[in-house]
Amino acid sequence: MADDETPYMQDDDTVREVNTFDGRLIRRIAQYLKPYAGWVVLALTITLVGSFLGPLRPWLVQQGIDNYIVVGDLEGLQRIILFLFLALIGEGLLSFAENYLTQYIGQRAIYDLRTTVFRHIQDQPLSFFDRTPIGRLITRTTSDVEALSDVLSSGLIVALGDLFKLFFIAYFMFTLNWQLAVVTLLVMPLMVWVTFWFRNNVREQYRETRKQIARLNSFIQEHVTGMHIVQLFNREEEEMDRFEGINDDHRAAHIRTIFYYAIFWPSIEFISTVALAAVLWYGGVGALSGSALTLGVLVAFIQYARQFFEPIRDLSNQYDTLQRAMAGAERIFGVLDEDHHLPEPDDPVELDAVKGRIEFRNVWFAYEDDNEGNPDWVLKDVSFTVEPGETVALVGATGAGKSTVMNLLLRFYEIQRGEILVDGVNIRDLRLKALRRHIGLILQDVFLFSGSVERNLTLGDPSIDEKSMKRAAEIVQADQFIERLPEGYQQDVKERGSSLSHGQRQLLAFVRALLYDPDVMVLDEATSSVDTETEALIQQALERLTEGRTTLAIAHRLSTIQDADMILVMHKGEVRERGTHQELLAQDGLYRKLHDLQYADQSPAASGDGAPSDGRVRANL
Amino acid sequence: MGALSRLNHFFWEYKYLFVPGLLFTMISAGFQITVPMVVRQAVDSIPRFVRIHTLYEGTAAQAELYAYFFGGLLLFAGVIIALSATSGLFMFLMRQTVVVASRHIEYDLRNALYDHLQQLSTTFYQEYSTGDVITRATDDIEKVRRYIGPAIMYVTRSLVMVLVAVSVMFVISPTLTLYALIPLPLLAVSVFFMARMVHHRSDLLQQQYSTLTSRVQEALSGIRVLKAYTREDAEADAFDEESEKYKWRNLNLALVESAWRPSFLLLVGLSTIIVVWMGGRLVAEGAITIGNIAEYIIYINMMTWPVASLGFVITMIQRASASVERLHRIMDREPDIADGPRTDASIQSLEGHIAFHNVWYQYDDEEEPALRGVSFDLPADQTLAIVGRTGSGKSTLVRMIPRLLEPDAGRVTVDGHDVSTIPLETLRQHMGYVPQEVFLFSDTVANNIAFGDLDAPDDEIRAAAREADLLENVEDFPDGFETYVGERGITLSGGQKQRTSIARALIRDPRVLIFDDALSAVDTATERNILRSLRERQGNHTLVIVSHRLSAVQAADLILVMEQGNIVQRGTHEELVDEEGLYADLHEKQLLEEEIEAL
Repeated sequence: MADDETPYMQDDDTVREVNTFDGRLIRRIAQYLKPYAGWVVLALTITLVGSFLGPLRPWLVQQGIDNYIVVGDLEGLQRIILFLFLALIGEGLLSFAENYLTQYIGQRAIYDLRTTVFRHIQDQPLSFFDRTPIGRLITRTTSDVEALSDVLSSGLIVALGDLFKLFFIAYFMFTLNWQLAVVTLLVMPLMVWVTFWFRNNVREQYRETRKQIARLNSFIQEHVTGMHIVQLFNREEEEMDRFEGINDDHRAAHIRTIFYYAIFWPSIEFISTVALAAVLWYGGVGALSGSALTLGVLVAFIQYARQFFEPIRDLSNQYDTLQRAMAGAERIFGVLDEDHHLPEPDDPVELDAVKGRIEFRNVWFAYEDDNEGNPDWVLKDVSFTVEPGETVALVGATGAGKSTVMNLLLRFYEIQRGEILVDGVNIRDLRLKALRRHIGLILQDVFLFSGSVERNLTLGDPSIDEKSMKRAAEIVQADQFIERLPEGYQQDVKERGSSLSHGQRQLLAFVRALLYDPDVMVLDEATSSVDTETEALIQQALERLTEGRTTLAIAHRLSTIQDADMILVMHKGEVRERGTHQELLAQDGLYRKLHDLQYADQSPAASGDGAPSDGRVRANL
Repeated sequence: MGALSRLNHFFWEYKYLFVPGLLFTMISAGFQITVPMVVRQAVDSIPRFVRIHTLYEGTAAQAELYAYFFGGLLLFAGVIIALSATSGLFMFLMRQTVVVASRHIEYDLRNALYDHLQQLSTTFYQEYSTGDVITRATDDIEKVRRYIGPAIMYVTRSLVMVLVAVSVMFVISPTLTLYALIPLPLLAVSVFFMARMVHHRSDLLQQQYSTLTSRVQEALSGIRVLKAYTREDAEADAFDEESEKYKWRNLNLALVESAWRPSFLLLVGLSTIIVVWMGGRLVAEGAITIGNIAEYIIYINMMTWPVASLGFVITMIQRASASVERLHRIMDREPDIADGPRTDASIQSLEGHIAFHNVWYQYDDEEEPALRGVSFDLPADQTLAIVGRTGSGKSTLVRMIPRLLEPDAGRVTVDGHDVSTIPLETLRQHMGYVPQEVFLFSDTVANNIAFGDLDAPDDEIRAAAREADLLENVEDFPDGFETYVGERGITLSGGQKQRTSIARALIRDPRVLIFDDALSAVDTATERNILRSLRERQGNHTLVIVSHRLSAVQAADLILVMEQGNIVQRGTHEELVDEEGLYADLHEKQLLEEEIEAL
């Protein structure tokens, strides 16, 4: 139970303990308690009173024994019993209030911290997400925050309560009999020493145990994932040996921990019994010498000798909690302090109605620098214009820079040179949200959020009503398959067995885009295969979607873009050819080759029902 | 609860720890329980000593008496300390036996589980997620351990303490005992219910924590969509809502937990008050002494934890029982691919002549068959290439050779033996398999390569790396072959991983080498180098190579073109290029790609 608990948790990050207390860090954590200062004061008051009532009871017992039991005054005894009862009830209620209140304060502060961290992370630009593993960011918002919760909730208040309690116990002991108080408190240093000796060892042991648990977990994780490799390479015996080794280390770490617990609990019991024996002996001898030792005092001291251990143990616990929280706090503040979010223009240009003219003017862009520190250009001097209502298609091999063009138009990344203009306005002069509101993006891999179809269509925007949602679904003819789902628009898209096909996902993305009624449509055509029926649906939907809208499309299937007003052929970051389908074919250049490539691996037998990886023959060709 | 009986043999196995352990538990409890008796003696003696001492006030005997009483008190103190020390010593021994035994059993259980996991085939791993298996190997085993160790220790200790203490108390005063003990059963019952509520509420909390975590994960994975549709604020609001829910579940749990200590306090405090109240009356009546009151107070304090722990123990046992069942759902599963009565132990070596006879395979009843009656014959030392689109059945086919999968119908033979009759170890010993999805262990490069042949000397590791065209890369790594790969070390590129995986297969110098699309992540130049080293080995092994790229298969003795689980074309490169069909198309495509790349 409480004494040999070993939580099976594994930190994503290397377990790092901060050994020195950083005052600045603590103050910064405390900032999150500021809004709840009133509650904190209340909790402290309650704690103060509660810590008085606990040590009061043995004193009342003493009064009862000495003044009434010994004398035989049963009526007076009843009065004392009543006080004792009230003190007990009072302490119980206050203790409950204290526990709950500290949690209440802590959880509210934690809520503030967590949502702050999440919002902060979400506001970072995409380049931040490219750099930072998502797992790490999840840890920041979840377990790191969690580690702080104990400090924020109980930390300070409970620690103060423990100090109060120690103070009151000492106070009552000295009031009753100062010599005995001194004798009892003589064992206190021993108690403190044992407790901290234990803590230190167990902390170290605990770290070791956690390390072993992590080893064990990652071994199992790795070997379960790669079991086929183990089996294929006949490594079962060796891996079993290795596992036994790790399992053995794990066991050894635990057994060492047991040793410390095995010493600690009996020692504590022993020390308080020594205090008790000392009180009996010293008190008895004192009584012989005529000091005013009464039986009640003796009984009271017997209780005090046990009572003062608890606060000491609690304090040492708090010390541990604080230490553990420090590492988490440092990581969280590390994230909060690193802010890369794109600055909004001081004087943003407002675009009410976007006509949809897009212009790239000598755009150069690199995601990162190469080894020598020079930009690793992904786009080199790219210029083109899309007139309002036109459709421009981007084609080219993988890595030609097509997707980058889209990312830049949405200002997911900042370009290094050149300008990108929407209706003649540099996108840097627009508010980010204003820019993106006018652009509808359809990505190649449709990302579905867990939850209903409806949530995935509206993305949780309450201003979109059911009618317009259904209307949009009708326009792109997604309504047919959605209504065939067991729960229609309320169908959970991630639930087992209801997984949607690629084509269906595409259609959902179209509805999504349509609902936001963008002036500019940016789409990355899916390469994944779909069945012929859905394919036809998608084609029709695309036509409706792009009608009258400025469209920038990345085409993987050249057949879909023959009607485009202009085709840009990209190769290694540059626009190599531009023109209409017919013009480009006539040029007999790169486009021609890409075109031929499309139809190269078309086996006539496979068209229609096979699973072609890319490209397909169309009837209208 | 019945499930727990499956653990009984462990108690027998570790009887050398359990028998003394339980004995120590009883001894420790016994000694501890005598302390209050001595305290009572002392408390009651003090006034007597004082009375006698004052009686001899002023006489010479007083000094003698003083010395005598002084000694007497010292003796009381000494006895108390000695009793406590003895009890403590046995408490120490108790933990060192019973709890240690539980760790041994945990160790055995985990080994047995892992050993069993190693025997289970791919079908099992498709059914159970990695997370699921890990939970069983850690969480469930830990829950079982708590039952075996702490739970049993607490129960024994509690029973001894309660029985002895209650009997002693009963002898002193039956009435006082009855009154004083009224709150204790209440304590056990309330602990039981609270523990249940705590478990229930922390399960709910845990669920919400997962929801919160997956919400973050999803939002960050779909950040592009969120940003493109300017839904950041809405998502943040939704996250606020989940956090709010989490906060409340936390507070719900806090509500029960906050009541924990107070209820303890109230019930124990109540017992003490009853003792003082009723005891006070009895003292006044002369039925008991004040020393008895002190004794009772100590007994009640002593019994609190044991009685409360009974409440915990019940939930501990319930949880352990559920865990044992979960564990045994894995342990009871028979390995489906293993040596059996059909195994012919005399087969010790293989030449590498592979043949498929009308092989069918279906992954799932609802899916289309992945292989529909595939047959071919590949003499030893020849090269077989398989091409076709994604999902045409290529990987399924090659997985049957080392018996990672077993055909639903038809036969796979090596050297004329059905693979299911060849001892699994022999079969796999002679295979070098490079899977489609590379899997490396977080270990050094050298150990990853030597995974294929544990005793390989350094120069063989180097040779294998050279053949896989990996050597130059490795030499650039900070610690060369001793460089760690994976989370704790450097991150290898897709191509480097793939080549390490190739070296791992090559180092075994196998009779049959299988490349399941194993060159997909390397560039054409590297591919050429690797193919060259393979050619140098030609004649030493049978090579089966699955590829998207034709450059890798041109030199094969036999090429199979697959589509929807069927072999639609077969022949050599020269034959197939001239034949109209998928192969010729793929060939043309490849030439074009090369042309475009060169532009």
